[in-house]
Amino acid sequence: MGNLVRSFVGHVRAVATGLRYLLLPNRMTVYYPEKLIELPEGYRGLIRYYPELCVQCGLCAMVCPAGAMKMYVKKGEKRGRPGVNYQRCIFCGFCADICPQNALEMTKVHDVAYEKLEDMILSPEEFAREVRSPALEEGAVKVKVIFSEERGLVHEPA
Amino acid sequence: MGLLEWVLELLLSPQVFAPVVFPGLVTALVVLLTIIWAERKIAARVQMRVGPLYVTRRFGGVLQMLADGTRYMFQEFIIPETSDKGFFVFAPVLALAAAILPFAFIPAAPGFAPVKHPLAALGVLASLSAAPLAVLLMGWSSGNKFAIQGAVREAFMTLAYEAVVFLSVLAMGMLYGTLDLEEAVYRQVIPGLLLNPISAFTFFVGMVMSAGRLPFDIVEGEQEIVAGPYVEYSGIVFGIGMGLAYLKLYAFSLLFSILYLSGWEPLLPIYSVYPPLGGLMLFVKAYAVMLFVAFLRSVYGRYRLDQALRAGWRIFLPLALASVMFSAFVKVVVYG
Ligand code: SF4
Ligand code: SF4
Repeated sequence: MGNLVRSFVGHVRAVATGLRYLLLPNRMTVYYPEKLIELPEGYRGLIRYYPELCVQCGLCAMVCPAGAMKMYVKKGEKRGRPGVNYQRCIFCGFCADICPQNALEMTKVHDVAYEKLEDMILSPEEFAREVRSPALEEGAVKVKVIFSEERGLVHEPA
Repeated sequence: MGLLEWVLELLLSPQVFAPVVFPGLVTALVVLLTIIWAERKIAARVQMRVGPLYVTRRFGGVLQMLADGTRYMFQEFIIPETSDKGFFVFAPVLALAAAILPFAFIPAAPGFAPVKHPLAALGVLASLSAAPLAVLLMGWSSGNKFAIQGAVREAFMTLAYEAVVFLSVLAMGMLYGTLDLEEAVYRQVIPGLLLNPISAFTFFVGMVMSAGRLPFDIVEGEQEIVAGPYVEYSGIVFGIGMGLAYLKLYAFSLLFSILYLSGWEPLLPIYSVYPPLGGLMLFVKAYAVMLFVAFLRSVYGRYRLDQALRAGWRIFLPLALASVMFSAFVKVVVYG
């Protein structure tokens, strides 16, 4: 009997907790793509390639653990330039780290969608283009995440 | 009398208006569309999310269900090779019919019931308890192991809640001295919820079990047996299966409001314009009850089948019996 009473009280408390959240909601969802969370320094998003800095040493392709980075050698040239295959890339950042010229940069963009699988394989020319976040292009507001004692996470315009 | 007047009179007579418009089909459809949306919104609020939003954003995505329904409508209805085809098609129709039948006995307002009968409460319960048989048939004829598991679960659950619900209503019937729903409203000096809280509680739990809402959505068990008896159904018939539980819940909520929340009292003055409008209060109460049941989804996880059965037989059945005895006691004290 005591057991039953205790479990009944437990149920009532569970429902009360639920009701409290219902009446005082604590929303944490960010309205992507209208809002976009500002990412921290050192975030490893899509990679950008700066051909003018590159000395075509091939280290990036050599270090890539996923076999995503590949050197593309043009006709008549001896050494190639890197292109990336995002089907394979695991965004480890080794390529950017090893590059002696800092010709590779990990950007903070990660929300790009590709229509076809082939589109995910970038040639050196495509690789050299600026990486743009489609949400930002359409005017998303950047917000930053702030930890708060009472509410957990709060998002404020950055 | 012109043809037009005749049609109008027919349409506004309780025998047609109550089951078709209010509180029957048309209202049930609106309830269905809004309650599913409300359930998702409520769960989202409690879980720190937003819920449906982008369909009619200005109104918080209230038309989401209409969009989903339209999608169901245009999906292909697949009849599996291994199913018992005749029954497979027939069972959902039967289930829907059984779920709509109770509205024939539920009065919308004083003197406004399609079938006025001294045993109306029993009529509602009897037709409601016919629906599980159709669900059983749905699962069985699908010829799919998940569907059959779901069907067997439905059979187990039916055994667990049916007696509880019937006994709870019996307790109220004893208390009011009648099983006529209209009469029951008149006999409530104070709401039945206060007269016999035990019966109200057991009826409520039985109702949640019967409608298969959380924590008792064991029959569907989305994560275990992927919608159970409805697993092979697609397109609009799947939509019907989904709506079935809510229809049952709606009928039960109306019954709950009549038996325990003093129905349409206080009667609104527009009653004199057209009787069923006075029943608006009843609708508001029933809707509030439904919202509460929908809210439970965000609080509870699912019970295991054996836990639900144990609760049904070991706790709620004795409680329901106790409520009958309590009724006898209250009857002597209050009604003399
Ligand atoms: S981030 Fe890692 S996996 Fe991706 S291309 Fe660079 S080295 Fe390869
Ligand atoms: S490591 Fe740097 S410099 Fe060497 S090929 Fe790769 S991008 Fe060019």
